[in-house]
Amino acid sequence: MSTRPVILLDGAASAPSELLGHKGHGIDMMRRNGLPVPPAFCITTDVGTQYRVEPETTMSKIWADILDGVRALEDATSRTFGHGPRPLLLSVRSGAAVSMPGMMDTLLDLGFSDDVEKALAAEGSAEFASDSRRRFIESYAQIVAATVPGDPYEQLRAAVAAVFASWDSPRAAAYRSHHGLDDQGGTAVVVQAMVFGNLGENSGAGVMFSRNPMTGEDEKFGEWLPGGQGDDVVSGTVDVEPITCLREQQSATYDELISAAKSLERLTADVQEIEFTIQDGALWLLQTRAAKRSAQAAVRLALQLLGDGLIDEAEALRRVTPAHVEALLRPSLQPETRFTADLLATGLPAGPGVASGRAYAEVDAAIDAADRGEDVILVRHHTSPDDIHGMLVARGIITETGGATSHAAVVSRELGRAAVVGCGSGVTESLAGKLVTVDGNAGEVRGGVLPLSAWSEDSTPELRELADLARRVSPLRAHAGGDYPRLDRHSEIAVRSAMASGHSDVVSDSPLLAMLEAIRVSS
Amino acid sequence: MSDLAVLQAIRLKGRVNREDLGSDLVDDLVGAGLLVDGPTLRLSPEGRVRLDELLASERSSVDSSVIACAYSEFRSVNAEFKALVTDWQLKNGQPNTHEDPVYDAAVLARLDEVHQRVTPIVAAASAELPRLGRYAEKLQSALDRVHAGETMWLSRPLIDSYHTVWFELHEELILAAGLTREAEDA
Repeated sequence: MSTRPVILLDGAASAPSELLGHKGHGIDMMRRNGLPVPPAFCITTDVGTQYRVEPETTMSKIWADILDGVRALEDATSRTFGHGPRPLLLSVRSGAAVSMPGMMDTLLDLGFSDDVEKALAAEGSAEFASDSRRRFIESYAQIVAATVPGDPYEQLRAAVAAVFASWDSPRAAAYRSHHGLDDQGGTAVVVQAMVFGNLGENSGAGVMFSRNPMTGEDEKFGEWLPGGQGDDVVSGTVDVEPITCLREQQSATYDELISAAKSLERLTADVQEIEFTIQDGALWLLQTRAAKRSAQAAVRLALQLLGDGLIDEAEALRRVTPAHVEALLRPSLQPETRFTADLLATGLPAGPGVASGRAYAEVDAAIDAADRGEDVILVRHHTSPDDIHGMLVARGIITETGGATSHAAVVSRELGRAAVVGCGSGVTESLAGKLVTVDGNAGEVRGGVLPLSAWSEDSTPELRELADLARRVSPLRAHAGGDYPRLDRHSEIAVRSAMASGHSDVVSDSPLLAMLEAIRVSS
Repeated sequence: MSDLAVLQAIRLKGRVNREDLGSDLVDDLVGAGLLVDGPTLRLSPEGRVRLDELLASERSSVDSSVIACAYSEFRSVNAEFKALVTDWQLKNGQPNTHEDPVYDAAVLARLDEVHQRVTPIVAAASAELPRLGRYAEKLQSALDRVHAGETMWLSRPLIDSYHTVWFELHEELILAAGLTREAEDA
């Protein structure tokens, strides 16, 4: 085990992200650059690894270090953990590099007792104190799967152990093996002083993208929930507002957030997804990471970051994968189209593809409509084997309940139908009879029959621009025409063999794909 | 086959070809207004009511604790079965192209484990409800075909694949335990 099992994330951690976990590393980086981040410490991945072998011994060995960490957070916040008059509450998060199903992710508002609730009620309001405690008890029961101990220190110890243990949950282990991730090692744990988006006026929580990760437009994008905490925003159960509403409500804080987003983009040379809380008008950044993005956005953002001087040409080309370009060349629902249509329901994307038609809630009615030549979407509470004839005639499937392994999901994939499952109760009634588009890639149902379109290497300006770049950087220049040897395929083998034969210029049906492959194999 | 067996078989499949059913009770049931005849057979609303009565009467003569126990054990293996079917269909979140024999073999090995776990559950339930015994045969038959390399018998709809039979069995156990699917989802 490293000599430092617990590391303060005060901007001077000077440890690699393998040890701190990505969350911890990001927090330390933000602190180092003077951004407003609540004080935090990290229990390293070394400890997580050790815990898997000797859980009890490991916890006992590092407990004093954890207590030192808590002391440091108390000093930094002028609050005390476990009692008033100014009690400190903590969040406990896993620091796994990727969030995995089955891994415990986030536990908020830890550190409650009756006394703590009273002290918080006196400091804030009784409503705020009881709302926070309710959130804590619910998520503790769900995540640690035990009743809440009365002693806040026992809560902390159990929560840390639960994060470490969740690395070995069957679902997390299956996920790692499925995705070819290393099963060795373990997760880090980040313990951070809570800030409160549920502290009344001028408070709230949100997620901010430094640029739009769907369309790739250079515009601020995100969600904001006045009076909410971070878990409300990601849960999808509460209606959030677009980030622009924050500008109207708290323009100075919004400007501060925008400028933090710009700094983080410069520091990381990538578009960031930033989780933030505003407590009583004060901005706090909780974590930041490279934004997940659509294929459209991957291309547009790479070109923008190049134009802004944040990355060079070679890096811009590395940010776009052949898979992105291949996806763009297939007919799909373009983000611009998607976002101008009404969002009628969201659920889990269970069967890939996009399909439009009129929604029918009854199998017999769906079959009759299909016999009349209508495009049919089947929407059901759930599906079971006797719905199969309705699923067969449908172009898309929607259900109210069920997950990624539900009957509807399994059969939709088997039949090649676009499917969104688990959209919540009431959608059967609200959708029946309407013309809808089922987006089985995004997990959305949108209003109307939306057209699909594809990008092309010849005519889409972004892809032409990228191909021009590639011709300056790639060891193999591919052209749409000209007096060069012909590359019949853009597979890795074909590209390697062309380069091995000493060709520097070739003609290809997909010049950009061929060059991205050439850059990939030669890097 | 009894009226109950015929009506229930049609309910579980939604619509059935006469030939596939192979029962000489069909004309009587159509005549009694319990089935709607056409290119395929399906239940009439009266047929659904009659089926519910027959199932309720069947339920009243069984030891409900045995069925409740079988259903509870089934639920514990159900999640693993559904997960393995999903892993068969998807690899790394993308459709499984079945080009990785090691991956596929690992998933199919899990099917053998699931089959070993579900077999005694079906046997216990059939001791109370002999009608359910045919699910043991149908599961075995689908498994044999998968073992013989006909992997479409794992999850393909419309044929009595392992997944199709499994789901019908699931519905039967929910009904036999006196529950409803809606309540089980909630």
